[in-house]
Amino acid sequence: MTIEVLSRPGRRPYPPRVTATTAPFWEGLLEGRFQTTRCDDCGRFSFPPKVICPHCWSRRILWHELSGNGRLYSSTTIHAAPASFRQEAPYRVAIVDLEEGVRLATRLLGGGPATLDSPVRLVALSYDDGPLFAARPDGGCIASVGLAPRPG
Amino acid sequence: MSRRVALVAAAALPCGKWQTPADAALQVLEHEVLASLVADAVAEAGIDRRDIGSLAFAQCRPYTLQKYFATFMAHYLRLPCTGTVSETLGNGMTAGLAFERAVDDILLGRAKVALALGVNFETATSAAEHMMSSMRATGDVDFQVPFGFTPIAWYAMDAARYMHEYGVSREAIASVAVKNRRHASLNPLAQFRKLITMEDVLAQPMIVEPLGLFEVPPRSDGAVCLVLAEEEVARATGRPYALIRGRGFYHEGAHQISEVPNDMTALAAAQRSGQAAYAAAGVGPSDIDFAEVYAPCTIVEVLVSEALGLMPRGRGAHGAAESETSLGGRIPICTSGGLQSRGHPAYVTPFYTFVEVLEQLQGRAGERQVRDARLALTSAELGNYNAALVHVLEAVR
Ligand SMILES: [Zn+2]
Repeated sequence: MTIEVLSRPGRRPYPPRVTATTAPFWEGLLEGRFQTTRCDDCGRFSFPPKVICPHCWSRRILWHELSGNGRLYSSTTIHAAPASFRQEAPYRVAIVDLEEGVRLATRLLGGGPATLDSPVRLVALSYDDGPLFAARPDGGCIASVGLAPRPG
Repeated sequence: MSRRVALVAAAALPCGKWQTPADAALQVLEHEVLASLVADAVAEAGIDRRDIGSLAFAQCRPYTLQKYFATFMAHYLRLPCTGTVSETLGNGMTAGLAFERAVDDILLGRAKVALALGVNFETATSAAEHMMSSMRATGDVDFQVPFGFTPIAWYAMDAARYMHEYGVSREAIASVAVKNRRHASLNPLAQFRKLITMEDVLAQPMIVEPLGLFEVPPRSDGAVCLVLAEEEVARATGRPYALIRGRGFYHEGAHQISEVPNDMTALAAAQRSGQAAYAAAGVGPSDIDFAEVYAPCTIVEVLVSEALGLMPRGRGAHGAAESETSLGGRIPICTSGGLQSRGHPAYVTPFYTFVEVLEQLQGRAGERQVRDARLALTSAELGNYNAALVHVLEAVR
């Protein structure tokens, strides 16, 4: 297990759909693994996990576990939210560059300043109805994000 | 010699709230509004309606109940066509692509005259409900939407990154909103025409940080009909027109972001399509007299002004704050008032761009006339400028 799994009460506001291709990604999150697809021909990563390599169109795809360590490329706080997210607003979202050279978009936890280029870590979120993931400032303590460690 | 295409006339509904609630006893309906604009535009063009060979529609919003809108309109207008009758959808670029559909039919010899037209009615649907649809249009439904991203959240992250990299203040970026409102105050088609100050902009509620209410686009209804023609036909009318001199398109093969890190605020698609349009026209950025760009938020105008070479990199916000992009400045941008103040009926917004350019190039823009306006630059985009469509147009009088 490389990333922390935090338990969150309730259901996800807008649950992702799961496919045979992406199921290992979502299942891995609940075990503390953040993994994505990597091409066995050109060696490049793809995220989200894909059925072919977007770079060279090879079908020789393997799962690869990432460290979950990265830097904050950009971030914003959303005040005007779609209906499904109204109750959570304002909330922070971010673009994170992982140390393996993979860029992704996610929620940013924590209430402190979101200093760009500062280190962040991915965490898995275990809701009643399934997993999501998020980033939080590296070294940020759990209390400051209002979450408890997952029991057991 | 290959054919050349001219924009000869336009008619547009002032941007604003036109759509009626579903339970209103008297409805304002899309096809009636648009039919009236078609008659106005064709009359202004001074062309024979029998020369119209193609109808290139921007697709309507899903809230428009009349489906197969294009063929319904061909019926309503009783307009048989030998070119094409089509509806185009391309996110924020929708009307830009419909414009190209009309241009291409003329270039291919399928029509002497083509109409590019459409209507975007949406304001009777609440913002929170509308966002439930629009959030799925700007991101990966399974890997981004579940976090609550909204269309303009991406632009806000552009702003945060730009401020961080270039040491630019929020005020410098916000100056674009003040400038655009000043332009809109002179435009009868604009949705918001009351002058505002920097203090007003900074006092607005936050929408998506660091962008407040006046720095993001309003929701708008709108409708436009553009008349395009072979240059021969345009010349025969004896009226001034706008000649399409160059065009460029580029899609970077990414939807909002890809997993490959890049310089997000460089707007690579605008750079590439701009270079292609300049090359096709045989001109450079310094030849351009004014630009009407697709910029939903203040920061986007800053970034696209840099990507199109109108401002040095990192200087776009300062240039706006120092009035370089104001009417009377070195390179006026968004003389219509831009998307924040002129309005943003998204699926027809690029049509309004061409309406403004035509008025300027014909010398009919009144108090907001750019003096000696000869060469205009336009842009349309989708996503976070993942794709851009750029045109250079020239005044022929
Ligand atoms: Zn590959």
